[in-house]
Formats: sequence, C-alpha cells, structure tokens
Amino acid sequence: MVKKRTIWPYVLVAPAVLIILCVVFIPVFNAIIMSFQNYDLRRPKEIAFNGISNYIAACRDPLFKGALFRTIVWVICGVGFQFLLGFILALLLNKEFAGRGVIRAVSMIPWVTPGVLIGLMWRWIYDGNFGVLNDLLLKIHIITDKVPFLSQVTTAFPSIIVTIVWQGIPFFSLMLLAALQGVSAEIYEAADIDGASFLQKLFYITIPSIKNTIFVTVLLRVIWVANSVDVIFNMTEGGPAYSTQTLSVYIFNKGNALNLGYASAMALLLAVLLLFAAVPYLRLNFKEEG
Amino acid sequence: MKKQLFGKRTMAVITAALMAAGGMTGCSSGNKETTAEVTETTSAAAAAVTVASESKEEQTTADEIKPCEIKFRYWADNTDYSQLMQDIIKKFNAENGKGITVIGEESPWDGGAYSENLFNSKMGGGDVDCAAWKLTSTPLFVNNGLLADLTPMIDAWDKKSEIDDNIYNIMVEAGDMQRIYVMPWNIQVLYVYYRPSIFKKAGIQVPKTYEEFLEAIEKCTMDTNGDGKTDVYGFAMRGAKGGQEPWGSFIYGRGGSFEDLTTPEAVQGMQDFIDIYQKGYVPPTATSDGFSEIIANFQSGLAAMTIHHTGSSKDMEKLFGDDVSAFPFPKGKGQWTSMGDTETVIFESCENKKAAFEWVSYLAAGEGQKMWCEGTGNVPVSKSVQESDFFQNDRFMKASINGQKFAGIVPILDTTTEWISDLWPNTVSQALTGSITAKQCMQTLQDGLYK
Repeated sequence: MVKKRTIWPYVLVAPAVLIILCVVFIPVFNAIIMSFQNYDLRRPKEIAFNGISNYIAACRDPLFKGALFRTIVWVICGVGFQFLLGFILALLLNKEFAGRGVIRAVSMIPWVTPGVLIGLMWRWIYDGNFGVLNDLLLKIHIITDKVPFLSQVTTAFPSIIVTIVWQGIPFFSLMLLAALQGVSAEIYEAADIDGASFLQKLFYITIPSIKNTIFVTVLLRVIWVANSVDVIFNMTEGGPAYSTQTLSVYIFNKGNALNLGYASAMALLLAVLLLFAAVPYLRLNFKEEG
Repeated sequence: MKKQLFGKRTMAVITAALMAAGGMTGCSSGNKETTAEVTETTSAAAAAVTVASESKEEQTTADEIKPCEIKFRYWADNTDYSQLMQDIIKKFNAENGKGITVIGEESPWDGGAYSENLFNSKMGGGDVDCAAWKLTSTPLFVNNGLLADLTPMIDAWDKKSEIDDNIYNIMVEAGDMQRIYVMPWNIQVLYVYYRPSIFKKAGIQVPKTYEEFLEAIEKCTMDTNGDGKTDVYGFAMRGAKGGQEPWGSFIYGRGGSFEDLTTPEAVQGMQDFIDIYQKGYVPPTATSDGFSEIIANFQSGLAAMTIHHTGSSKDMEKLFGDDVSAFPFPKGKGQWTSMGDTETVIFESCENKKAAFEWVSYLAAGEGQKMWCEGTGNVPVSKSVQESDFFQNDRFMKASINGQKFAGIVPILDTTTEWISDLWPNTVSQALTGSITAKQCMQTLQDGLYK
C-alpha cells in the first residue's frame, strides 16, 4: 500500500508546535543563554558573559548540594508513597460497593485543590500552637507535648512530604483505576479457576496489564513533583534553616532575588537530572512495546 | 519496522526533553520578556534619565498640569484600609480642581511579592504611573532607571518643611545618595506590646533597660496551671521573614549595629536571641513564626510580649481593652527600633509627573495624610498632623512617637531584599536550632548583606 503524501498533517499540528515553541523552547533557550551570564538584575550594569562560572558555583554551593539531596528524597518518598497509596485506592475503587461513585468523587478533592490552598491549609493543620493535628494527637495520647511540626528541622521535611503525598494520591488512583477497568474480567476468572491467590493475580495479571499506565503516570509525577514549588513555598518557604529547600524552591528563591543567571544554571542542571531519569525510562517502555 | 522503532525512540527522547525542560520555563518564563527587553529598557531608561535631567528645568517650569488620569498602585492590609484608600482617592479626584483623576489599582502585599510584581510590570512596560512603596526596593528600580527624580518637585513644593529633614535624608540614602526618588508618606515605628495583667502576675514593672527587658521575658514565662508545662511565654519571637526588624533591637541593645554585624557586641545580641529561644522563653514555633503567628500568639494569651507597630493596635485594644499597653524598646548599650516605612514613587515612564506629584504630595502632607494615618494608625510624616490630638492622646501612637528618635532601617543595599526574605530567616533559624554558633550566624549575615 502506497502512502499518500499530504501537507495537511503538518498544517494541523502547526498551531500546537508554534505554541510549544513560544512557551517552551524560547524560554528554555533564554534560560540557557542566561545561565552562561552574570545575569543579576539587581546589578544590571554588570551583566556579562561569564562562561561556566554559574555551573561551577552551583557545584561548590553547599545549599545547592543540600537542595539536590532533598529533591531526590522528596521525589522518591513523595512519588513512591503516592503510587503505593494511589494504587491501593484504585484497587478498592475498582470493586463494586454501595456509594462507590461518591467516594470516587470525594477522593479527587486533594487533586483539584490548588497547591497554594493546600499549603496554607496544611500549614494550619500542622501549627505547633493551635493546629488540629496536635490537638488530635494529644487527645488520643499519642503525644504528650505539642509538636511544632513545621518549625523543627527534624519534622518539617517529613511533614511536607506527607502533604505532597496526600495531594498526589488521587491522580495515581484516577489513572490506575482507568487502566484497571480496561483489564478483562475473563483473565481473572481463568486465574480463579486455576486457584491463583490475590497476590499472584496482582503480580501476574494486574500489574503487567497496566504497566504502561504506571510507567507514564510515575514519570509525569516524578517531573511534576521535582519541579513543584507551591506547596513547599506556602508551608515553609524552604525553612527553617533550609531544611525544606528543594532544588526547585532554591531556584525559585534565587529567581525571586533576581539572580537569574545562577537560577537558570541550576534550572538547567535540574532539567538534565530529570532527563537522565526520563530518557532511559521512556526508552525501556517503548522498547518493550516495539 | 526498524524505522518505526527508531521513530518511537526519537519521540520518547523528545517527549522526555520537553517534559524536563518544562521545569526550566518556570525559571525563565518570568523573564522571557525582560531578557530581550532589559538592555533596551535599561538603555532607554538611561537615555530617558539623561534627557529628563537636561530638560528638567524646562519641564518643571513650562509643564502645566492638564486634566489627566494617573494610575496609582497600592496594597492594603485589610478591606477597611482598601476602602479607606478608595475614599481618599475619591476625595482627591473631587477636590483637586486640576482635572486629575487618580485610578487606584490594588495589588496584594503578599509577603513582599508586591514589589517583585511591580518590578516585573514596569520592566514589561506596564502603565502604572505611581505606586505605594517600600524603601528596600529602591536600589533595584533606580539601577534599572525606572524611578523619576522627585528632587526638583520637592524643592518647589510649598509644604516641603512639613516633613523632617532626617526623613528626606533616609530617602536620599536609599537611592543614589544624591537625588530623592521616594516621597515620604507614613512610618511605622516598632515598639513592644505587653499585657499588664501578666506583668502583674510575674511581679514586674515595665522594663527600663535592655537587661530588664531580657529579665522580663524570663519572668513572664510561666506555668500557670501547675502541670509542668509552659502556658505563657515571655515573648512572641518572629523567626520567619520580617523577623530582622525586632531582632535588630537585640543587636543594638548589646551595642552592636548593622554596620558591622561581626563585632563582639553584635554577636552577644545574637546570643541573647538564641538564649531566649533555647531556654524556652518563646514559643517553640518561633523559627517559623511570621507576622500572623506572633500576633495570634500574643492575642491568644500564649505570649506576654511581642513587637509590632500601630497597625495591630486597634485589634489589640478591641480584644484586651485596657489589658494591653506598649513601651518603646528599652535602651541597653545602644538603642534601635525598626522604622517600617511606606512611601510613594513616581515612575520615569509617567507622562504627567506634575499631576502625579499633586497626588503623592496630597498623601504626604495633605488631607490624604491625615485620613490615611488616622484610619490605619500609622505614624504620619507631616509635623502638623503628628501634633493633632488624635495622635498625641493614643498610648500606642505615643510609644511610636517616643521610639521615632532612635528608629532606623536595615541598610538599603541591592542585597537587602534577598537578605531579608531568604538569608536572614534561614541563617537565624540555623543558629536558634543550634546548627551554627552566634558568631558563625553573624558572619554569614554580614557576608550576605555586604557582598
């Protein structure tokens, strides 16, 4: 069969490509250029090309290293627990029970709530003096003294990880639930006849059947969580004592301080890091498909 | 088939690149216009400044005020203040007699993001003519040629002497040390709020010296119900952004100063700050407590003292009646309190600067000054307004006016904004939680401010 060459596909995708060029490629190109400059708007007269100085400075910056480490922990714990709990929720919501529709709708609330509101809400939940969490824990005798969750270096970061996990569970459950509904019931029936246990069905039928959705969802969340600023910024602004400062928050702070050259260099390093995670992941996925 | 697989791989790589790059756009998108425009804007602004200075004399004499619209951007801390500003604008528009129509554009303060948004707006060619202001933003805007030089207009202003020369000097220091780019409007002098009933229970008087103040913090920290836990803390400490203002009083109390934060006196002041935290005289949430939290802690009775300005006095009085009062931060080896400032500026891009000056001067010494300061409880800069009964008979205003003579500001440098919003809170919380010593903390703060 001979394929007919036509210009229409190109014309139809052109608007989308144009928009992507404007909102992604031009700013990215801009950021790349700035990352090689001493681009500090507080000192506009000193803006000049400075080679890889910003990158060297980042590699020597203890705050950058600390933020990088926290970003890795943030992504692994955040996305890991989101996936685990989202998957459990999806499995539960895939069962028939009374009120399932309502629960499905309610479980989406964290995902549809803006990050800024989530940050503010959890900040008050965690409040060390008047927060509802302390009140609850005191009443059920889990703690004897109020815990200043967001004011201590040891508890602040785990606290915001709990928040991001809470926010991301519905996205995983929604995506995985949609995939689960595509798995044929006949396969499970056959497995039941063969006497397969729940875990065997989970690992030999369910997970392999929705593998591609898991791949894509995890990848998307890794990138989104690594880049997320809103929740952390509204809860702690990266403090106390930089204990919740991830790379994206550090970049945001430096950008806000108008040191755009340094912020761009760090943003590029973060992008490269995410590429290292994303490329092998997607290649593996497509390879198996091919 | 191979070709198809190659295509898929290529797609995978491109998709991944796009996704990862998306993160970078957040950093650069805010500047995408400015990158291309900054050089143009800077040079254009520089050119404008040159032209403006050359023709300044002609302009000030020849340009008559014609009917026009002036866009004024401001923030309001609550809905009452928002309404008040609209009332002032309405009154000015009705009574100025020169056909000037001020259009008030409210923008949230948002923890200081107001200034950043204003900067982005002006760099992107926004049409705001004048705006409410904080001095800390001045170097950034002056360096980028965005502010109009108000010196000739102030010199020609018939109410110039209404405002103390010291205040004009502070405005000059915040700019390029030669010109006034910022019009004084009102000030907020920080003082100590305290609860007389808690002082009575602790058996103490209003502290007269810095040492007595530290002692009062200790004595007011009490276990009121005998369960072995602290119920009232001596002081609501602000360890988050903005905390540098009350903190500065501790540094000066020991004889330190902002000029050199590494002196033994300044380090001792920092050590006092650390001690009251580590000894449990302040709520354990202090490292992350900002304005809302310190006020909530004081208003709930959790803290006996806190530091703020008259902006909180109405609510305090409504809640506690006579069981709340104020005193200026006591003197130790030195004495300092933060002078919060609010000013106005006119942008270089404003086409009707003389009309805009009519408006900002109305806020500085006219009816606008009186209405705003009476409505918000801020300290007026106009001497005649200061002398009115309204300001003389108020105990909080009195504490402000008494503190005015030793009030000051954190040095206004191009590093100040980052120092205040990022370096200070994180470095001080490192010291409070014991990660670094007082000396290391002060060295970091010194290096960050004067780099």
